[in-house]
Amino acid sequence: AGGGNDIQWCFSQVKGAVDDDVAEADIISTVEFNHSGELLATGDKGGRVVIFQQEQENKIQSHSRGEYNVYSTFQSHEPEFDYLKSLEIEEKINKIRWLPQKNAAQFLLSTNDKTIKLWKISERDKRPEGYNLKEEDGRYRDPTTVTTLRVPVFRPMDLMVEASPRRIFANAHTYHINSISINSDYETYLSADDLRINLWHLEITDRSFNIVDIKPANMEELTEVITAAEFHPNSCNTFVYSSSKGTIRLCDMRASALCDRHSKLFEEPEDPSNRSFFSEIISSISDVKFSHSGRYMMTRDYLSVKIWDLNMENRPVETYQVHEYLRSKLCSLYENDCIFDKFECCWNGSDSVVMTGSYNNFFRMFDRNTKRDITLEASRENNKPRTVLKPRKVCASGKRKKDEISVDSLDFNKKILHTAWHPKENIIAVATTNNLYIFQDKVN
Amino acid sequence: MEVQKEAQRIMTLSVWKMYHSRMQRGGLRLHRSLQLSLIMRSARELYLSAKVEALDLEAPSPPARCPDPRLHPPREVEVPAACVPPDGEQPLPEPMDTQEEEETLVRCSPRPARVCRKRRSSSLSDGVDAGLVPSKKARLEEQEEAKDSSSEVPDCLPPPPAQAEGAFPNLARVLQRSFSGLLSRGPAASPTAPPARDAKPACRPADPMLSVLVRAVVAF
Repeated sequence: AGGGNDIQWCFSQVKGAVDDDVAEADIISTVEFNHSGELLATGDKGGRVVIFQQEQENKIQSHSRGEYNVYSTFQSHEPEFDYLKSLEIEEKINKIRWLPQKNAAQFLLSTNDKTIKLWKISERDKRPEGYNLKEEDGRYRDPTTVTTLRVPVFRPMDLMVEASPRRIFANAHTYHINSISINSDYETYLSADDLRINLWHLEITDRSFNIVDIKPANMEELTEVITAAEFHPNSCNTFVYSSSKGTIRLCDMRASALCDRHSKLFEEPEDPSNRSFFSEIISSISDVKFSHSGRYMMTRDYLSVKIWDLNMENRPVETYQVHEYLRSKLCSLYENDCIFDKFECCWNGSDSVVMTGSYNNFFRMFDRNTKRDITLEASRENNKPRTVLKPRKVCASGKRKKDEISVDSLDFNKKILHTAWHPKENIIAVATTNNLYIFQDKVN
Repeated sequence: MEVQKEAQRIMTLSVWKMYHSRMQRGGLRLHRSLQLSLIMRSARELYLSAKVEALDLEAPSPPARCPDPRLHPPREVEVPAACVPPDGEQPLPEPMDTQEEEETLVRCSPRPARVCRKRRSSSLSDGVDAGLVPSKKARLEEQEEAKDSSSEVPDCLPPPPAQAEGAFPNLARVLQRSFSGLLSRGPAASPTAPPARDAKPACRPADPMLSVLVRAVVAF
């Protein structure tokens, strides 16, 4: 987007139940496009993964891109019980990460609080028929009734998409897993919990290497936890992790086996004019994402999105306020627990625009080149395909103009925590509590 | 006084949230516990600094020295006032007196049952902030039910049990017992009449509360 050709976002699809009564298991907890953008995966609180596939573009009518339809649904994680600690382990899917496609099958990693699983999603469109010893329904024939021999052949069948767990990476995390990230070598990946980061090989499930450990000897001295971690998109030895104190550490695995000493520490000094009772907890970083180029990284804290140049540690190069009008409401947001909400953020394919969610089912986009930002709403009210979304505006104080919404009218139960941007095109997936919205740019 | 009330309200709310988070599926979350304890610490500091200001307006009372060697790590008590960055590494020269007084005030709170016996007779009459000095009730609390706390000043935190260490399930029982009175009123219960603690010495151990919950984090 630049010059006079700003993107106009249009409603494309919405997935999920219509009724307002949200079943807790249906709450969407993660959204992720695969590397080609053809597949879109969601995970929910009930431990389910739903994968949507984009229809092949209709070459004749190319005024809209293909729709996303359900491709596969499977139960990834089940609730478990840790008998030693008398704790239930939630089945909620915290993160999904796709592997790049190597053959006909697709692979993804999904994780809950304690266990990571590698899933293979494969298509089956033919099946063998004509066995000598088995009937078509699988029952074994009496060998004495076999009088002739035939060679079984493959016959076409209705497409079936199967998901099977190929690896289960368990028992490596004492605390709750918040991130997984696949390395650019496509052989290893990291998983991070509150205090530790482990390195895994995709083929090996009974061993992982601990590469970061910030657990203090005396837990009473604990002052910060790890909130997110990600591998660099190009350098297979580099990863970053963010903390609850608003810092990001970049580590190089070549430096030492245990990367407790960072190579770089990214931290912005606090603005004294913004100090408040809650400043400490709102500086906690809820998400960190490298740009596709690998030159920048983006962090999300409660009120803002920051873009960091990897070559400059002392401050971000860009800061975007997501919902600054909430700064004076932090006490109320503490009371209703919203201050603990963990918003994610994402880059577009060309790293020129970033997106993140807010409340009232609003989501925000910031164009890094034009410095323009826009607020849009994910709502079923605009649900005619190709309806252009109208920009929304929140009135912080004073006179509310027409079409503006005042801060006190915002619905804090309607929050957009998870968003994803197609890696190549202007298609975005935005998750409200239990619905998935897909928006596309207007194609003339 | 408003600041004190607000700080106390936030502390009460935080304790309730901490308890409530243990009831959630998946149990206590370390990050959430840490955030809640940070808020409680800030609320406590705000409360203390407001109290100290109030005390400074009256005749300054001699700081009570606490003989208990097993002190809570002093790092978090180094911060003098709410307007100073919480690093605490460079204490300002100005509020040094305040800071010292504050430090001793707070230092004496962490081990309620043990310290309380000694201090009760000597220092409470000095007008030292009774709201922070733990009471004998802290130990009794364990044996008797929360009926004591409810007969006390209703709007303040009930004294925590003296021993909150140990395995996770024990902590759950202990917290449940101590906070049952508090919980029945719910987090929205706002301070009612001005607390009687200003009149007669009673113990509102904000700091032991924090140490209990820090121990909750440890146990986790």
